[in-house]
Order: sequence, then C-alpha cells, then structure tokens
Amino acid sequence: MERISPHQFTTLGAAVILGTTFLPVASIVTGVGGRDGWMSVLPGFAVGIPYCLMIFSLSEQYPRKNLLQISATVFGKWIGNFIGLIYILIVAYLGGLLLGQVGDIYQVSIMPLTPLWVFFLGGIFLVLYLVKSGIEVFARFSEVVFPLIVIALLLNVGLSIPRIEQGELLPILSEGFKPIFLGTRKIMPFVMTYMLFLAGVIAFLPTGKQELSQLKKGVWRIIFLVGILDTLVVLIQLLVFGPAETIRLVYGLLVLGKLVEVSRTVAGVESLFLGVWLAAAIIKIGSLFFSVIWGLESVFGLKGVKWRHAIAVVFLGISFRFIRGPSLITEIGLVDEYLIMPFVALWIPILWGVSRWKRGAGN
Amino acid sequence: MGSWMKMIKELTIRPKGERQIRKSPAYSFDEDLKKPLSGQTVKEILSKSSDVVFREFFLQGKDRIPCMLAAVDGLVDKNLLDQFILTPLMVDLARHPELTQVTLSNVVDKTLQSLLPGLEIKKISKMREAVDAILSGDSVIFFGNLTEAIVVGARGWANRGVAEPITESIVKGPREGFSETLRINTSLLRRKIKHPSLRIISLKLGDMTNTDLVITYIEKIASPDIVSEVLKRLSKIKMDAMLGNGYIEEMIEDNPYSPFPQISFTERPDVLAGKLLEGKVGIIVDGTPIVLVVPAILTQFLNVNEDYYQRAMVAILSRFVRYVGAFMAIVAPSVYIAVTTFHQEIIPTDLLMSISAGRQGVPFPALLEALTMTVVLEILQEAGLRLPKPIGQTIGIVGALIIGEAAVTAGLVSPLMVIIIGLTAVASYAVPTFDLSLAVRLIRFPLMILAGVLGFFGVTVGLYVILIHLLGLRSFGVPYTSPIAPLRIRALLQDTFVRAPWWALKRRPQLMDVEDPRPNGKG
Repeated sequence: MERISPHQFTTLGAAVILGTTFLPVASIVTGVGGRDGWMSVLPGFAVGIPYCLMIFSLSEQYPRKNLLQISATVFGKWIGNFIGLIYILIVAYLGGLLLGQVGDIYQVSIMPLTPLWVFFLGGIFLVLYLVKSGIEVFARFSEVVFPLIVIALLLNVGLSIPRIEQGELLPILSEGFKPIFLGTRKIMPFVMTYMLFLAGVIAFLPTGKQELSQLKKGVWRIIFLVGILDTLVVLIQLLVFGPAETIRLVYGLLVLGKLVEVSRTVAGVESLFLGVWLAAAIIKIGSLFFSVIWGLESVFGLKGVKWRHAIAVVFLGISFRFIRGPSLITEIGLVDEYLIMPFVALWIPILWGVSRWKRGAGN
Repeated sequence: MGSWMKMIKELTIRPKGERQIRKSPAYSFDEDLKKPLSGQTVKEILSKSSDVVFREFFLQGKDRIPCMLAAVDGLVDKNLLDQFILTPLMVDLARHPELTQVTLSNVVDKTLQSLLPGLEIKKISKMREAVDAILSGDSVIFFGNLTEAIVVGARGWANRGVAEPITESIVKGPREGFSETLRINTSLLRRKIKHPSLRIISLKLGDMTNTDLVITYIEKIASPDIVSEVLKRLSKIKMDAMLGNGYIEEMIEDNPYSPFPQISFTERPDVLAGKLLEGKVGIIVDGTPIVLVVPAILTQFLNVNEDYYQRAMVAILSRFVRYVGAFMAIVAPSVYIAVTTFHQEIIPTDLLMSISAGRQGVPFPALLEALTMTVVLEILQEAGLRLPKPIGQTIGIVGALIIGEAAVTAGLVSPLMVIIIGLTAVASYAVPTFDLSLAVRLIRFPLMILAGVLGFFGVTVGLYVILIHLLGLRSFGVPYTSPIAPLRIRALLQDTFVRAPWWALKRRPQLMDVEDPRPNGKG
C-alpha cells in the first residue's frame, strides 16, 4: 500500500486548503467582516485543529482505515454506508464545481475567446493523470508545487506594496469583535472541506507514535501557514483596493497581478500567476477526486479505471452545468456553508465521541 | 586452396530447380557443448575458424603425454604463451625433478601445482567452459583424452589504451577515461577505491557474443535491495548479442517509454568511484568505454564531475547556469509563442511595438515559424554530429549564419525568432548530459504546439504533465525526483542545486537509502 511521509502530509494539506481559498478569501471575509475581516482568517482556520486531532485519535484506534470504514465499524454497516453516500455526493459535487471554476477564471481573466470545455478538459486530464499516478505522486506533486504557490503569492503581495494606502485599514475594530466572528464563520467551511480529504487520506499516513506526533505538528503548521498567507492576501487587497472594491472583486488577487509592472520589462503577470494557481486548483480538485474514489471503494466496493473515468465524466457534467460567473461562486458558497460545514461539523465529533464511548464501554 | 574450394562447393550446391536463397542450416552448438570435455571435440567445433590455433606437442614425463594448446590468434599474448607456457612445458621441464612422476592420470594436478608458473590458471572439466575460455582470449591446454583441461589466462590484444574521454572533458581534474577493455576499466576503478568492500562481480550476457560484464558496488554503502535488483534484471536478459551498454540500458530501465534517461553513464573512473561512494551500482561492459550507473536521479544529470574539483562558489554558479539553461531550453520557444500569440498584455508597450515591427511582413504564425526553425536546427545538429569535424563546423556556419540570415532578409522569419531559437540551442548545450539533452529537445515540440494552440494554459498543462511524469518515475526503486520530492533536506542543501564546500559535507548526501551514511569530509 502506498504511504506518504509527514512532510508530504504537511505540504499536501497546506496545498489542499490553500488551493482554492486564496482567490476568493478576501472578497468573502471582507463581505461579512468589513475592513476588520482580515482578522478572522486565522481563527477561522484554527477551528480545524480539534477536528484534525479527533481524526488522528480515530486513526490511532483504527489504523490503516479511512473514516468511512471507521464509520461503518462504529455505527454499523447501514448508517456507515449512508454517511458514505452523502460524503461521495458532496465531494463529487464540490469537485465538479471547482473544475468549473478553473474554466471560469481562465476565461474571465486571460483567455476570453477560448471555449470553456478546453479548460475543463485540460483540468480533468491533469487530475486524472495525477490520480492514475497514485497518492504518493500526488503528495510529491504538492511537495514541488506548494513552495511555488507560496513564492507566487508572496511575489504578488510584495510587488503590490507600492500601491497600498495605509488609511484603508483604519479604524481597527470600530464595530467590535462581531465582524471577526462573522468572518470566522465564513472561513470555517474551507477548513471543513480539507477534513473531507483528511478523512480518506488518513489510511495512507504512517501510524507509528513518533510519526503521529510529527503529523500533529504538521497540522498546526498547515493551519498557521495557510492562515498567515491568506491573511496577507486579504490585507494586501484591503490596503490596495479598500473594503468596497475588495468585496466587489471576487478574484482580486488576479487584478493585483494585472497591476504589477517590473522595471518596464514585465507587466500584467496574472497569466503567469494563473499557471501557479492552476496547480493549486488541480491539487484541490485532485484531493476531492481521490475522496470520491475512496468513498466508492469503501461504500460500494467499486474500484478500477472505468470508475475513475466515470467520476471524471460526473465532474465534467457538473462543471458544464454551472457555466460561469456569479452563479458558480454562489453555488460553491452554498455547498461549503450548507452541505460541507454541517456534515463535517456533526459527523466527525459524533464518530469520535461514539468510538470513545464504545471503547470505554468495552473496557 | 583445396579446402576453400571444398567449402564453396558445399555451400553452393543446391537441389535442382531451387532458386531461393536458402536459410542457414539449423545447427545447434548446444548438443556439442553438452558432450564430455575432450581436445578433439573442441577442435572439431572450432577448427572451421581460421583464427583459432591449435598447437600440439608432447609432455615427456613418466608417460609420453600428447597435449594440445588452443587459443585465438589476436586475443592472446603470444610472447606470454611462448615464454610461460610452451617453453616451460616443452623445454625447461625436461630438467624438472617432478617430471619423472608425471603420468596421464595426474598430469592436470601436477601441471597446476608445480609445472606451470602464472597467476591466472585453473582446472576445468566442462566443454562449455573450454570453448568460452578460448573464445574469450584465454588459452586451454588439453592432455590426451582426459576430460579435464587447464585454462591459462594469457589475454593480450590491441587496445587504444587509457585516453581522455571525449564526452566528459573537464578543465580541472583527472584526464584518464575508460577504454574498451574490461580489465583495464576495473583496474582503473580499483586504483580509485582501494578498499576491500569494493565488489566486482563478473557475469556473461549474449548467447552468441558471450560478452563479459561486471557489476561493481561498495558493499558497506550500496543498498542490498538495489544490488539484488540489478542482478535480477540482468539475469532476465535473454538475447543473442550484447554489443554495448545501450542493449542493457533499454532492457533494465524502469520505464522504457519515458523520454528521460533513467540510467546514467560515465566514461571517467573518478565519476564512477564518486557514484559508487554515494551507494550506486556500476555496470561495466566489455567492449565499450561507457559505464552504466544505477539508480539515476534527475538532478544528477545536470551536475558534472568538475563541480567537485572547483571551489564551492564556482560550482554553485555553474550549476545555477546549467539549471537556468535547461529550463530555457525547454520553455523559451513555447513562452515566446504563447506571449506573441495570446498574452501580449504581459509585454510592456515599447517592447511589444518592437516585437510587432520585427514580425511585420512575416507570412506565418509564430507557431509555424518556431516549429520550422526548430526542425531546421535539429536537422543541422543531426547533420553536423556525425560528420568529420571540419565539415561539421562548415555545416554549422552555413546553417546558422547563411540560412538564418537569408530567411530573415527574405521575410520568412522574424529576427526575434532567430534569436529565440539560437538562444534555445545554446541553452540546450548547457545541459551537460547527452541523454537528458535529447529528452529536452524532444519535449520542446509538444510544448510549442500547446503554446500555439492554448497559450500559457497549454504550456502550464504541458509542464505539469511533464512534472507528474517525472514524479512518477523510479530508477531501480529510487524516486527519480529525489531529493526534491520526496524531500531529503540534507541532500537538497548539500549536493543538488548547490554544492556545499567539502568541509561542510559531514555526512554522505542521502539521495537514496545507503547502508553507511558516514562522514564524507572531516568538517
């Protein structure tokens, strides 16, 4: 069975969370939290830490099993399979929507005349190739690509510094802590999406005591790294565009890239930046694709190339259904908030609690 | 005269009316080789070849023993044979006190123990051993009708000696390179590593060619898994001919459909020694100066041995230049096509105007222009490669200067395109390994097409496909992209993109699992 190292777990986790968050995060948190929204990013991500620890605790108890298999063991076959079914539907739906977002972003920002299906096919081809190569290669891909994403983000932020207006951030906390709470609630679904992936990938992680402690440290690193990076992204957009414009620009970071000019030689680097973003998006969609595969295997015992292709067709179908623009963004927001958030928020704590109770009763 | 007339007759007489060229008769040497060992049978098998010589003589001991020495003319050192085998046996031994006790029954043992001097001498008892020994350049002495014989190592043939390798020339470092003779090559290696843990295991491959090869590694350092895997894969090779390292390379690499080389090669003993000290395994094939080294990882194809002879800062700069060169060689034409076709917004206005002025009047799209130029470049490279040096240079000048200049003047290509393609060609020469340079040339074409059709999106997809392919490759179980992914931080910082000073290399760079990660430098 394939295995991924604690370091790969960290980069993979960070890339999966960061994957599709750094573009819309500024607009989302500023929309509910105003100019103080940036302060809600890190607390929002930190909510994921106890969930991760619960998953690790379950993995200790049931080594080499994913959360769907553990659910079937703890709750019984029927309830476990029902949970698995919901899991598969949610994950596949979100994966398809994110694939749609790839086409949307490329068409809106740099290639308006190219048909959408080209981007969908390019994206799903990369995802399929990654999935075919296996979880180890997927983890290595994140190991290589994640530093590039971070560098690209920092460059975009750094090169935008000359355009900042310090006054845009003031007054701080003029409306108290309420905007931070609201922002945190909006950020939480992002980290909950990661829990869906972690629920499956847990079966591929090392189970030794030393490695488990490394994995736990890795979780803290993931949360803080992504939290700080996303905070920087929100901050720079607030400082350059101001709150109103940040809310309006869904893909504000790309607009920032468009404004960049380096020594009258390179300008409008958003097309280069999108290249890096594509890798991040592919990791995110790939993680959801893997989750669907694990779900189908655990619940229905379906595995093999033909099922991979079937999942790809489902992803493509969903991405074609929600063609572009605001309706796609709204749909992703709804899935995050009203499907993923409540599902994960209930499933993992209940599973953890019941399993502990059963263990206690067993003793 | 009579014998070859007879042979012509045998070969040309055919049944009446038969016009077709006949197939060679099915003749199996295996049957002969299974017979009990005897000088007469060996003579029957080999006497049809004029280069195999048989010298018959008598050894006068207690019995008068008929002897026969068989060897291949041109593969043996005649002086050695005369001086240390024939003269002692036929002349000097007449005065030897033990000769009176020699009979047909003990002649083999007596000869081995006290009659013949020489280091490489052993007893054999199988027909195949005798035939193989003779054809490999050893001499075999048969005694009467005994089923035992003696093999005497007296190999000696013309070779070009130890010369500086052409493909791996360096400024600062040793000048000696491997040659075509296996034993010279192993001796060159042994001179570099004078340690008992250096293992040299002999094998033979090729049913017809019977090619000698050795596997070499350092027992305390190389992973036993890798060594056993090498042996396993070599043992699976079943072919008639093994005429060079290329045959083996394709038979044992992990992914034969990948454009990327998964086995590295060297012509230098110092490089082989260095790689063995990193835990790798060398395969030295007789008849070629190229030594295969496994496992291979991507970044090592961009590092050269001179990095280790230069000062660390110079080595770091050279490596940086090579990595940038390799990247440019892959993406420069495709980025140019993508920018001029799809993403003009990335270029500041002044530069855009200048590019646009250069392309004015060019009737072809950038993709076609670039593809044509690259194909022409490839033709020039291929044409110049195998020609004699002065003609090769002329072709380069005619191609690059005259055709290029004429194409720009005629308005068929833009000057900037010529610059880009020229830059790409120069950058690809910065890739120090020929095999990797070929891979770079190969992947450039699909990237250009993707750039022409889909702009940066196509280039990005293409690059990620290459990256995923590389990440999935393994060479003898070792991930090809190690130490970048999976990350081995020490190896990455010590000897990948940079080369740490020798005093900072406290432990062996762990590009893979090695048995003994002892200190390399004294630090």
